[in-house]
Amino acid sequence: MFKNDERYWDINLLNKWFAISSIVFLIVLVWIFIDDNDDEFKDYQREFRKMQIEITKNKLDEEQGLVEDVSEDYELALARAVKLFDDKSEQIKKINSELGELRAGYYKINLKYKSQKAEIDVLKFELESANLKGGNESELVRKEYGEKSLVFGEVKLEKEEFEIKISRLEKQIKALKSEVKAAQDERDRVLKKVDLAQNKLNLLDRSEMSFMNKIGDIVRDLPILDFMDPYYKVKQTVVKDVLYDVNFAAMPAVDRCTSCHLGIANPDFKDAEQPYTTHPDLDLYLTSKSPHPEESFGCTSCHSGRSRGTSFLSSAHTPNTPEQKKQWKEKYDWKPVKHWLQPMLPTRYTQASCFKCHQNTSDLAGAEKINLGLTLIDRSGCNGCHVSANWESKGKSGPDLRKLNEKSHPEWVAKWIKNPRAFRYNTRMPHVFEQANQEKPNVAKRNVTEIASITHYLFEGKEVKNSKNPSKYLGDPSNGEKLFSAVGCMGCHVKEQDPSLAPQTTTFKELTKLQGPNLIGMGSKVTPEWLFNWLKKPHEYMPSTRMPDLRLSDSDARDITAYLYDNKNYDFDQLDAPEADNEVLDELTLDWLMKMNPEKYAIEKASKMSKDEKMSFVGEKSIRHYGCYGCHNIDGFMDAKPIGVEITQEGSKPVDKFDFGLYHDIPHTIHDWIENKLRTPRIYDRGKESEPLDLLRMPNFHFTEEEIEAVTMAVLSFNTDKVGESLLAHNKVPDYNKEGHRLVKKYNCQGCHLIENRGGQLVEQIGAPEYGPPNLHSQGRKTNPNWLIKFFNNPMTVRPNLQVRMPSFHQIDDKEWDTIIKYFQSIDDENTGYRAPHQFASSSSKFKAGEKVHELGACNNCHFYGTEFPTQVASTWAPNLALTKERLNPEWVIDWLREPQAIMPGTKMPAPYLPTPDVLETDDAVDTWGRDLVKLKGNQEAMLEGLRDYMWNIKGKVDISAEIKEYFDENGYDFSDGSEEYDDEDDWDDEDW
Amino acid sequence: MNLVAIKSAIDALSAPTISFTILTVIFPFIFPPSDWFEKIHRKSGLWRTWTKSGCIIGMVLITAFFVIGYFDPYFNKTLTKADNFPIVLMIYSMWFLIWLGMYKAYRNDARIEQGLKPEEYNDPDDKVLVWPDLVYIEFICLILFQVFLIVWSILVAAPIEEPANPAATPNPSKAPWYFLGLQEMLVYYDPWIAGVLLPTFIIVGLMAIPYMDINKKGDGYYSFKERRVGIFIFMYGWVVLWLFLIIIGTFFRGPNWNFFGPFEYWDTHKVEALTNVNLSEILWVKWLSQGMPSNILVRESLGFVLTGLYLFVLPVILAKTVLKDMYEAYGPTRFVSLMTFGLVMLALPIKMYLRWIFNLQYIIAIPEWFFNI
Repeated sequence: MFKNDERYWDINLLNKWFAISSIVFLIVLVWIFIDDNDDEFKDYQREFRKMQIEITKNKLDEEQGLVEDVSEDYELALARAVKLFDDKSEQIKKINSELGELRAGYYKINLKYKSQKAEIDVLKFELESANLKGGNESELVRKEYGEKSLVFGEVKLEKEEFEIKISRLEKQIKALKSEVKAAQDERDRVLKKVDLAQNKLNLLDRSEMSFMNKIGDIVRDLPILDFMDPYYKVKQTVVKDVLYDVNFAAMPAVDRCTSCHLGIANPDFKDAEQPYTTHPDLDLYLTSKSPHPEESFGCTSCHSGRSRGTSFLSSAHTPNTPEQKKQWKEKYDWKPVKHWLQPMLPTRYTQASCFKCHQNTSDLAGAEKINLGLTLIDRSGCNGCHVSANWESKGKSGPDLRKLNEKSHPEWVAKWIKNPRAFRYNTRMPHVFEQANQEKPNVAKRNVTEIASITHYLFEGKEVKNSKNPSKYLGDPSNGEKLFSAVGCMGCHVKEQDPSLAPQTTTFKELTKLQGPNLIGMGSKVTPEWLFNWLKKPHEYMPSTRMPDLRLSDSDARDITAYLYDNKNYDFDQLDAPEADNEVLDELTLDWLMKMNPEKYAIEKASKMSKDEKMSFVGEKSIRHYGCYGCHNIDGFMDAKPIGVEITQEGSKPVDKFDFGLYHDIPHTIHDWIENKLRTPRIYDRGKESEPLDLLRMPNFHFTEEEIEAVTMAVLSFNTDKVGESLLAHNKVPDYNKEGHRLVKKYNCQGCHLIENRGGQLVEQIGAPEYGPPNLHSQGRKTNPNWLIKFFNNPMTVRPNLQVRMPSFHQIDDKEWDTIIKYFQSIDDENTGYRAPHQFASSSSKFKAGEKVHELGACNNCHFYGTEFPTQVASTWAPNLALTKERLNPEWVIDWLREPQAIMPGTKMPAPYLPTPDVLETDDAVDTWGRDLVKLKGNQEAMLEGLRDYMWNIKGKVDISAEIKEYFDENGYDFSDGSEEYDDEDDWDDEDW
Repeated sequence: MNLVAIKSAIDALSAPTISFTILTVIFPFIFPPSDWFEKIHRKSGLWRTWTKSGCIIGMVLITAFFVIGYFDPYFNKTLTKADNFPIVLMIYSMWFLIWLGMYKAYRNDARIEQGLKPEEYNDPDDKVLVWPDLVYIEFICLILFQVFLIVWSILVAAPIEEPANPAATPNPSKAPWYFLGLQEMLVYYDPWIAGVLLPTFIIVGLMAIPYMDINKKGDGYYSFKERRVGIFIFMYGWVVLWLFLIIIGTFFRGPNWNFFGPFEYWDTHKVEALTNVNLSEILWVKWLSQGMPSNILVRESLGFVLTGLYLFVLPVILAKTVLKDMYEAYGPTRFVSLMTFGLVMLALPIKMYLRWIFNLQYIIAIPEWFFNI
């Protein structure tokens, strides 16, 4: 076209470049399609499909095997029926052609019918119009109307004729076909499961598909065409109640995890490997019958992570162990998703997500680790420094130090503060001093003086009570030892010298043994006078103590005092108590003064202070600095604020707000930060050149690895994750349930009793459930709340032969008792309304029948009747039946009598004998059983009711604590009074032969 | 020479104080605006930069730097950040395009010296065909560019970060690359100046160039010699005061906007002593040992005086002395415009040095009126 010399550029060169660039462009376009459609999840789905085919094939083979024998018969029957049907094909053809003619005729007559009907309707209208007009025009119309109606009637008849005939013929055909249908139905019924499996396989396995279906199966997944109905697609759940906070909005989570985790809710894949494997415990999670159905909860509400990710890396999976991390790096080139703020929780921390919906409990079934974590937070007193608004502690976790001078002496206190575990190896008190960031000599020296000053402050103005007359308070240590293990001390305390035998805090039961301190070394720590007074009246020394009053007699208290006081810690006694060094004390005083004053004034002020004043000053400042009042009540610090960071939302804090310190050997995740902090609290001070007063202060609790994991889990669970109201479990549980539960935990009821089937270690220690603290199962339904609160405030002896006794918790006020009672009632679904006194008629037949049953039961063998003692030995004694009407609820008594073992497994109470109907129908029944009993005709309920009513009528003294005490004071608790120790060997002596 | 030593040397040399100074000093020798510079330019062999081998050497040096940088664990983080890919492109493309222009200019200058016409003279001056000469080329470029964009978008994910959180500011918080030069200027100037005044001057100044330019030569063909002063001034403003500041902002500025060498670890804890004083403080407190006057105008009087001298008196003096010929050639309007834009442009490096040498913060400091220079 154009001459080459008119052009500026060489056209051939340009053409070459155009060709090259176009081809490259085409290649790149194809690359776009490949990149877009080659998704990672599709690979997993293809693999899964293969696995499904395998499983379905196996199922099919199985089903076929099952019906192998019978299916052949049914197939034959079907074939026969089909043949019969085919034989009749001539007949059927004839009928069909007749039917065809009839249908044609019907069509014709129907048309006629319809048009005539229309005409009649018109005439009717005209008639009615004419009626209105009046005159004789209506006569004509009426005539026409009548004639036409007649004709119409005939047409209608004709039409109906056709209809009848047609229907008859159709029925005939149907009858002919019915046999075939019946045979088919039979066969289908037998082969139903096989057919299902086969259908499933047809959908899955391309090799089983028909040609057209095969084409369809390929086409449906082609690029662009896969907008219609692809097989391989993203599978997602929009979880509208689980929200992501993106700062200016909250978006519902869209969980696409099931795009790869295809077998997650399918029990067939239990043995498959990830990502196809089934979720553990499908009864609890994912299935629609479970409390956590997938449609409502999705996956990320528990596991966190990037819900909208559709590949392994982009979903923010987190490895659970360093080994797994290495594996993932090698296999998948794994790296964390840098800008996703909520990476998936490592599997070991999944329970951290339970808390956001189950906020009111540390006893969640199936969530043992977080239960432990929350319990440890309460026990270790974390809230004393770190406030957590939705898991608040009830009271301070350490003892009250305001009257320390009565209890111990300064040397012991100073040594204890310096190194608590030198005295008690499993104490809860953490180590504030001698930590990694206090190793520099000048810091260590300062610490020693600080400790001496703190001790000085704690004892200031208070006279140390040395033992003036120790023997007044010391009794018999061996009896004390017996009492210690019998009376109930071991519900909360151990006295264990050997660390390897001490309870490990791995289970809740073991934790209950450590409610109170390990009582070793008392001889080095306290005075006998203090110990005696403490045992008698703990709340006089410390009003907020959780230790109850065991109502010990003076001599018992003396014996126990002697037993505990006998144990001294000689190594600890040999240690030197920290003393204040004058130079260091000056330095500390100046440092503190200079915080508020310029150096010149500080020096002036300091020079006017005596040593005592300096020690008090430094002591007070140090207590405020180290936050001792977080766990202890101390004079002058009753209103002081916690010194630690608030952890209400710690789990959602941005990672860059955590100070990882200067070294770079800790991965930057929240859980790694917390774990390392708990393990070595001063670790983030490494390499820092801080002033002594700027050093990190968190003390070391010497947690075990398990405890670290549990507490980290609990702290992770304090977060800002938003969940819709309908999912919150704690909204469905009333407040008093939560409160009551925490009170029960606080006062360690479960150290002695089984409540909600947890706890009860003291029962195991005593050895026999009938001599231990009772199982409080069904307590809410069982006891009358009016009696119960009286009992709590002033325990009476209920089970006569128990040496272990219910302590008096004077420190629990009525409101808290009320909460506990309501808690018991609510776990038994017992409404807390007013209960009218139980009415019964003692003259009724039922009552008298009950009286007879009572007679048969010989209840007096074991039970007390007021002050009337049982007939059998003390080891079998049972509660006072005169107490029943005040103490128990009538409906519960029926359940108890019906089957005691169901309510209290291991109880010695037998179910009372209730005569069966056949026994009552004999001729001499009336003589044997009495008329009233026979009248009931063996109605179990009525008999039990009668018995119960009789019990309600039993008279006698209600509170027989005094009588019981008198007996056992005289006879002791040693249940070997000969009559029950029947030793076979005694009878057959060799000499007798 | 071991690699660590080279890297430490580069780290030390890349400090703005040093690198900017080196660049400023060398610049007139690379784009010589006068005969004296020209002589040294020729003698030192720097003219070879604008030959084909010079281009290759430049590309090789740039690539070597990036390759060494890729294998350095710290520079790798900055280099492979998806946001910084355009800067890498920019460095290569700017180098090539500047080189191309200068190469063609030098060829033409050589021809002109020999008395020949410039190369463009032989171009057809009546018409060039739209199709295929214009549009076909554009079309091929379009396809190739499309291929480049598609490949880039397939291989590199969009650099999206966390959801915006008003309570959590990223550190360092960097502007998009095309504003990094301005962000660097913000270190030395008040936001009103660096963010409003100077950009306005840049834009208006660029628009005004055709109107201020009276040099009829070098029009329609590449030439350096015929326009060397103008080219030098423009190149300085563009390469040193704009592109180089972008490079500093991308690679050499880290957390807290501290300076970090390219191979240095971006330590958020790094602290540098940067106590700056205002001119008024230097005058009244340091030199005169008095308190600061309460009257604002009195307080900032020295600053006003110096600024006035620089912007208003200096042009007049120059017009009457050194730049007399220029004043006559350009006429008063053009001369004044040129002076305004030129002096304001020069003010940036001047201020930078005043800061680096004297820790000078503001020449005029009136925070009460938001007026700081």
